[in-house]
Amino acid sequence: MIKRLAPMLLLGIAALSAALAQPREAQPLRPGERLEGRFVEERHLTGLSAPLNSTGRFMLVPGTGLLWRSETPFDTVLVITPKGIVQMVNGSEAQRLPAARLPFLAGFYDMLSGALGGDWSAVARDFTMDRRAETGGWSLVLTPLHADDPAATQLQSITITGSDFVDAVEIHRPNGDWERLAFLDQKRSSAPLAPEDRRLFDTADP
Amino acid sequence: MKWAALAWLALVLAAGAYLAWQFLGGIALQTDLMALLPQVEHDITVQKAKDEVAALLNRRIVLLVGNRSRERARIAGAELAAALQQSGLAESVTYAVPTDGLRRIGEAFFPYRFGLLTEGDRARLQQGRGQEIVARTLASVFGPLGIADGALLRRDPFLLLPTYLAHLPQPMPLLVPDEGVLSVSDGPLTYVLVTAQLNGDPFALAFQDRFIAGFDAIEQRLRQATPDLRLLRLGAVFYAQAGAAVANRETSVISIVSFVGTILLVLAVFRALRPLWLTLLAIGSGVVCAFAACLWLFGGLHVIALLFGVSLIGISLDYCLQYLSARFNPADATPERRLYRVLPGITLGIATTLIGYVTLLLAPFPGLRQVAVFSAVGLAASFITLLIWLPMLDSSRPLSHGRRLLVAAGWLWRFWERPGYRRPRVLLVAMVLVLALVGMFRLTVEDDVRRLQALSPELRAQESALRRITGLAGGTEFILVRAADADGALQTEEALLDRLEQAKAEGAIAGFQAIAQVVPSVARQRENRALVHDRLIAPFLAAYDRQLGIADGDAPDRAAPGDLTLAAITPDSPLSFLHQLVLAPGAGMVTHAVLLSGVTRLDTISRLAEAVPGVRVVDPAGDITRLLGQYRRRAVLLIAVSAALMLPVILWRYGPRGTVPVLIPPAIAVLLAPPLVALAGVPFTFFNAMALVLVLSMAFDYAVFCRETDPDHRPVTMLGVWLAMVTTLLSFGLLGLSRVFAVHAFGLTLIVGTLLAFVVSPVTGESAGNRPKMQHKD
Repeated sequence: MIKRLAPMLLLGIAALSAALAQPREAQPLRPGERLEGRFVEERHLTGLSAPLNSTGRFMLVPGTGLLWRSETPFDTVLVITPKGIVQMVNGSEAQRLPAARLPFLAGFYDMLSGALGGDWSAVARDFTMDRRAETGGWSLVLTPLHADDPAATQLQSITITGSDFVDAVEIHRPNGDWERLAFLDQKRSSAPLAPEDRRLFDTADP
Repeated sequence: MKWAALAWLALVLAAGAYLAWQFLGGIALQTDLMALLPQVEHDITVQKAKDEVAALLNRRIVLLVGNRSRERARIAGAELAAALQQSGLAESVTYAVPTDGLRRIGEAFFPYRFGLLTEGDRARLQQGRGQEIVARTLASVFGPLGIADGALLRRDPFLLLPTYLAHLPQPMPLLVPDEGVLSVSDGPLTYVLVTAQLNGDPFALAFQDRFIAGFDAIEQRLRQATPDLRLLRLGAVFYAQAGAAVANRETSVISIVSFVGTILLVLAVFRALRPLWLTLLAIGSGVVCAFAACLWLFGGLHVIALLFGVSLIGISLDYCLQYLSARFNPADATPERRLYRVLPGITLGIATTLIGYVTLLLAPFPGLRQVAVFSAVGLAASFITLLIWLPMLDSSRPLSHGRRLLVAAGWLWRFWERPGYRRPRVLLVAMVLVLALVGMFRLTVEDDVRRLQALSPELRAQESALRRITGLAGGTEFILVRAADADGALQTEEALLDRLEQAKAEGAIAGFQAIAQVVPSVARQRENRALVHDRLIAPFLAAYDRQLGIADGDAPDRAAPGDLTLAAITPDSPLSFLHQLVLAPGAGMVTHAVLLSGVTRLDTISRLAEAVPGVRVVDPAGDITRLLGQYRRRAVLLIAVSAALMLPVILWRYGPRGTVPVLIPPAIAVLLAPPLVALAGVPFTFFNAMALVLVLSMAFDYAVFCRETDPDHRPVTMLGVWLAMVTTLLSFGLLGLSRVFAVHAFGLTLIVGTLLAFVVSPVTGESAGNRPKMQHKD
């Protein structure tokens, strides 16, 4: 269960892209704005002969939640809101976990909302942050601060690279597993949510 | 007479010495309020199981420590927990939960993973919908929340154990572990949870006081460090202590007012202190003898029985006042003459009152038996003191200052006698009857113990805030599951859980906690393993492994790994509370408790649950409610019984014709007081009924005093009745002001009953003129 913490962090940080982009853009997401894009994920698990690859689209709506739509290899949607997580497989609900079952979710929202507003203290409580400027962009390496923290036993490091937005996130685990997430075609939007997306958020927040 | 006085002195002194010896020997008064209630249960094992669960629930306290600063909340929470631990008031305190608690559960449960299925997954496999589990797992593995590493995917390919663990019941669903502390944010505040199991009985007054004193000191220290701390508390001990504190404060106020009032009254009427000493002597000797007798008979005495018993002995004041008022009659020059004059009245009064008190023995409340013995012995002893000692000590001459007093006291008699008062008389009777008639329609009964308690509103506000913030559902109801062995109990629980799920779907209950929710029976685990093998592994695993690229796919352990038992849950596990649900074994039976919360329709639950053999729904509050109802009805019966028992005495003295007027005041007081009290919106409870027992005795006293008196002594008798009425109102009537509902109902009934009995008491008197005796009977 605690293993969920790592990917959640990843998601959180991916979603922070707009805030992380501050040095160049100085434009975090404004109220009413959302961030959309595509993702390519590859997960290397020890003992599996090939990486697990998936691609799809994501949408971050501050204050509402996150839609994570895998298109390949399966059509699944993950709806993450402060109320919890709902997983939809082939258009029907496969699993629902209320926030209270997901201890890390609260921490995740603390980090996310803090960082979106420029407050990194929630992240800094658990990680050392090494931020560097690089040609055409920047990088940030997060390392768990507390050795006895459950997160530390699951995470070795998180490396985030970006320019205007976060371009990629790489996570390394102590057991040798690692994964890489690339974010493509990201854009801000303040148009109203499509009815279908609205409906998805509503299912997660009855 | 002198020998009798000395003999009585010896006896009272002996009683006093016995009492002193007992106290020096270290006898303590019983303070456990539960001891006042009769044992409801006849089955001893069930009663023991109920006591065990009740102790488990009652001794638990739940505390939320909140602050704007997460750090400050955590510091205060840690300090609170440490201080509670050190205080020695708690058996166990829980604050920090192991950060790897869930991982440790995972490790302990891992070998048995194929036998552990959530209700949903079990249904899916039973209905042949295994592919749903496959699809869900694939989506998780590929998805951004991928929780599995290669090793886990090889050994638990469909992630059944993580799913099982994620669906374990949580008593406080809104709390989340935050760096090893269960926490929750609510608005701007962060709360941390501290729970403790007390090591004393929360209903024992001594423990209550010790605990609250300790707890308050800790709270004060915390507030010094963090002034804006919010501390929410929940626990029987807080309510019990607050209730006892209110009762204590009220009792001291009422005692002082009653005591001072009585002294002032005696001084004002007799213009001397001697009558005061004499009455105190009579009451005091009664209390000493009663106390000694109870210790000798019962080996102990409950503090409530003591207080109540002393109040009942207080009625002997009425007899002393009859005797002392006789000093206002110049015709009776010596104490002996005065005693001779009032003796028939007070003897009959004592006789009927004793009958009334002894009738309390018929009520099977242990406390009431003590009260009955205490008050009967005390009353008898006071009476002997009055007979033997008072005339010897009371040598004074008749009082001459009472002329105006006697005229005033005699007015009530004239009101009932003089033809000129006919119109107001009729008006008064009509008014009382109309009011009683209206009250009759508003008369309701109430036995619900929850409404009879005056729960502190401040604590209730804290409780509801705490429940809202943590998601902890309330409830004192539980279910006992009995079977021949532990696994049989788990199987019974499984049958029960299906039905409770149904009750939950119907909205009859919010939640429940049972061992079988975490540790399924052996039979269920075997069934689950077969389902997983036949309907999940066999049809889907090969393709699944290919899809994920698990090449060296070691097939999941086929060999029976044994079964998960409660023993796998260690005492430091976050699930260790489950061990508390196993009750002490008895008579070759295993008993488990299933805790219920948020029960809205107990009858639905009882109907569904008790269809399962070995299952019994227990509702402790409801049991007491039913009991109070039963004894309310029994108390009404007791009144009828004691009236019936008094009747032969009255008949023997006055004959059939003379008896009827004597019955008027008791009948009016007992019959009209309940509807008149109902007018004030106070329902009829067991406590009103108990007040009526007292009202009956007093009404008989007043009636007999008036019936026995001579026409020339009437104003003197009436003065005594006046004094008796006022002192009764001073001692009992003040209880009507209490905020404790039971006491309030008791006091109010006494006020109304006493006043009614007093006002109509002259009706009993022998006719002086041509007033027909039966004139006021209707």
